Amino acid sequence: MAKKQRGKSASSSKTADIKQQTDHFSLMLESSDDEAPEEVTFEDSKAEALRSMKQALDTARREKEQLKEKRRKRQELFQEQKKRKLLPADVLEEIDSAPSQTQKQCQEDAEEEEQEAEEDEQRKKKRKRSGKLAHARNLKGNYTVQTAKERESASFQQQAAEDFLQSRMYGPGSCRTTSNELLSLQNKTGRNKSAAVQFVKKDWACNEKAKAEKLKKRWVHKQQIPSC
Amino acid sequence: MGEFKVHRVRFFDYMPTAIRAMAFNSRTERLALARADGALEIFNFADNYFQEKVIPGQDGRAVEALCWVGQRLFSAGLNGEITEYDLENLRPRYTVEAYGGPIWTISSNSQGTLLAVGCEDGTVKMFEILEERIQFQRNLDRQKGRIISLSWHPSGTLIAAGMMDMIRIFDAETGRATHRLLVERGVGASKSKEVVVWSIVFLSDHTIVSGDSAGKVQIWDGVTGTLVRTQLVTKWDVLALSVSNDESSLVAGTSEGTVVQFQFISSTVGQQDKEWVRTRTFKNHSHDVRALAHTETAVVSGGMDTQLVVRPLLDKVEKNTQESALRKMTLPHRSLVCCAKKAGLLLFQFPDHLELWRLGESDGHGKPGDSLPVKRKPEKLIQLKRKGEDHICCSALSPCGGWLAYSTVTSFRLYRLQNNNISITKVSKLPKDLRSAHQLCFSPDSSKLFASSSHSSVIVVALNQPECKYLHTLKPKSGESEQPVHLLFASEDGKWLATANTDCEIHVYNLDKLKLHCTVPVYSSCPTAIAIHPTTSNLVAVHADQQIFEFSLVQKEYTEWSRKLQKQGLHSLWLERDTPITHVAFNPQNPAHIILHDTFMFCIIDQSLPLPEAKTPFYNQMTLRSLPEPQRIIHSHAFKICKNFQHLMCVSLLEDHSLVVVERPLLNIMSQLPAPVRQKKFAT
Repeated sequence: MAKKQRGKSASSSKTADIKQQTDHFSLMLESSDDEAPEEVTFEDSKAEALRSMKQALDTARREKEQLKEKRRKRQELFQEQKKRKLLPADVLEEIDSAPSQTQKQCQEDAEEEEQEAEEDEQRKKKRKRSGKLAHARNLKGNYTVQTAKERESASFQQQAAEDFLQSRMYGPGSCRTTSNELLSLQNKTGRNKSAAVQFVKKDWACNEKAKAEKLKKRWVHKQQIPSC
Repeated sequence: MGEFKVHRVRFFDYMPTAIRAMAFNSRTERLALARADGALEIFNFADNYFQEKVIPGQDGRAVEALCWVGQRLFSAGLNGEITEYDLENLRPRYTVEAYGGPIWTISSNSQGTLLAVGCEDGTVKMFEILEERIQFQRNLDRQKGRIISLSWHPSGTLIAAGMMDMIRIFDAETGRATHRLLVERGVGASKSKEVVVWSIVFLSDHTIVSGDSAGKVQIWDGVTGTLVRTQLVTKWDVLALSVSNDESSLVAGTSEGTVVQFQFISSTVGQQDKEWVRTRTFKNHSHDVRALAHTETAVVSGGMDTQLVVRPLLDKVEKNTQESALRKMTLPHRSLVCCAKKAGLLLFQFPDHLELWRLGESDGHGKPGDSLPVKRKPEKLIQLKRKGEDHICCSALSPCGGWLAYSTVTSFRLYRLQNNNISITKVSKLPKDLRSAHQLCFSPDSSKLFASSSHSSVIVVALNQPECKYLHTLKPKSGESEQPVHLLFASEDGKWLATANTDCEIHVYNLDKLKLHCTVPVYSSCPTAIAIHPTTSNLVAVHADQQIFEFSLVQKEYTEWSRKLQKQGLHSLWLERDTPITHVAFNPQNPAHIILHDTFMFCIIDQSLPLPEAKTPFYNQMTLRSLPEPQRIIHSHAFKICKNFQHLMCVSLLEDHSLVVVERPLLNIMSQLPAPVRQKKFAT
């Protein structure tokens, strides 16, 4: 910082500055006491400082411009997508009435479906296939099959919400234990103390049961050794 | 009395689902309960807490909140839809997309004109409640976080919304957010996690009470937006809050399974300065309490341990009476097991599939109380998965084991079983009227199928191999009943069909003439089980308040025995039982026997024996066994109760005079529940 200020001022006391600068340089650039300090002229150092500053300004400006470009391009892309997504106004009205109709359709009632499908189908034929009707298929004849539920993105949100709930209640930091522990505690504090539930239930804790079996065998073997 | 060989069935892996939300309608005294799989249950609190109606769930309908608006029931879920339910036809009436992402909460104002939903995208959406539908009105100011809980001020002008890390107060008319109340995060490790305001209550004196995930119940002044009081209730989350109608008592449900009560009282007697003081703690659950309701006299709680607990408050009811007892509803109040008497088959109904099992066989003989060796093990013959998203509403198996039917709210399916019940073929051509049914019943000779449909009518369908033909629709007197039929029984001789609906009406139809024969006089309590005696043609009806009636169909009046029973009255221990009788059966070898069962006992009523007096010991089977033969006759009374088998789901008598007892031990249910919180207890 101090260097730059001295470089910019271009004062009359050049020599004094140069001396001080060289002294500074010598103090900072020296790696060992034996070596002679480097000689850098004032013009060089001034040019160096100016260049580095300009570079910094340039890069900052370039970055800003790049970001601006990116943002502009993205905005354009969104506008284009929006235009593409929006269907003509009369077709939007149709869409409003169509979901309520599809909800009432029962899968067993093929006849009803046929009738309604034919009615809608004439209107649908005029529409182009966009995001909402991406699941529609044209079969042979006067049928259009449309999935009643067109909300895959909605189920993603539902899954995210369920995950949030799951993580808050059972995620890390929720201090949970197993139902085996709970039942063991109840067993311990209850009136009739019996075997732990994981030994009573057939399909629980296979590892523990195997270990217990091995231990039992070893104990029986140990009991038999002194006798024989 | 009788010795029975008992098939003790414990392979029905029935698993109830967790309770997610509840709402109490104080005018009609009905509690609506939403379960995690989307099923809805309605309990009638005025009628001995009977589970009147069950609306089956649907895949993807993750209900998060319920709301009563007058007699209408609305629910909102994580699928982003608001659903109104048709409680007369037991199905969703319509669904409305809120277009705000998953919906976390729903609440209506006290005038019943507007419905507010809190969505994932941070908006509170207002819907106008119209006659037949709801209509979107507007959005309130959009916020940056998700809206987890909502509460209207009783005047309908302000809404308090609980979000992540804060509470917002909205002006309902302008839609602007006026106050922002910041909720402190937890201490220690939980300081880095956002605190979720799980539930919030707005009182009429502008006090806001909030329960959050840091375990605090905080009381705020809604006018100035300042914190009045903080109470740390638990180390885990406070998941639910509920306030009584007179706003003097508040309950908070926690993840530990405790329910903490706060009361608005003054700390010293006689003083005027009242404040919210923590009074009682109830520990009735082993897992998280996710739903609470505060009625006039009781606190109703439900959660991840799937049990509904009603805890009457002792300052509102008299101590040591039937009213003040703790009530726990574990198993459903309807039968999920169908037994084919002639074929020895069992049909188990799960929400998403059906299982057909053949009972095992045993040759041995033994003394009462022995376990006989099993010669042939019970085997699962068929597992039938349902088609579509709706859960199974009802199912039935014909007594010969040749036909199987089930229904959901949108579809009905009938199958023919052949080759000794191994192969199954679907009957494709079904009559048009047979769309969906609330209850199904096969006639004893397997020639007809009865399906109950809307407005208490019953559709009769003839079963001729390989197809079925529509015969007739049986209707009660026109315009009378709107309520759904929840019980159906066809008599052994094929002459009578009895139906019972949730309006407490029992209609009996004559199947030879295919018209209404008579209507049993309406009793104030809802019938929970009906049956027609094979030889005497007497209709036996058991009601939710544990009363038993016997009605003669031939003479169209109550029988002598029934009048005697009513005159003497039932024993107090019988009336104090808290689970309803769900099945009535008869013994072909002894026409005087009636076999009944509820969750904790099964009973054989011998009509030839005297009725028990009020003072005689009721459960006297053990003492009778120890007495010598001549003395037994003096002491025995008509009600013979056996409590050897617990958590009964079905008790039925097969043709070979052996008893089938389907049990579901509570331990098996508990061992499959999700993880509870870890609590360090002294000396463990």
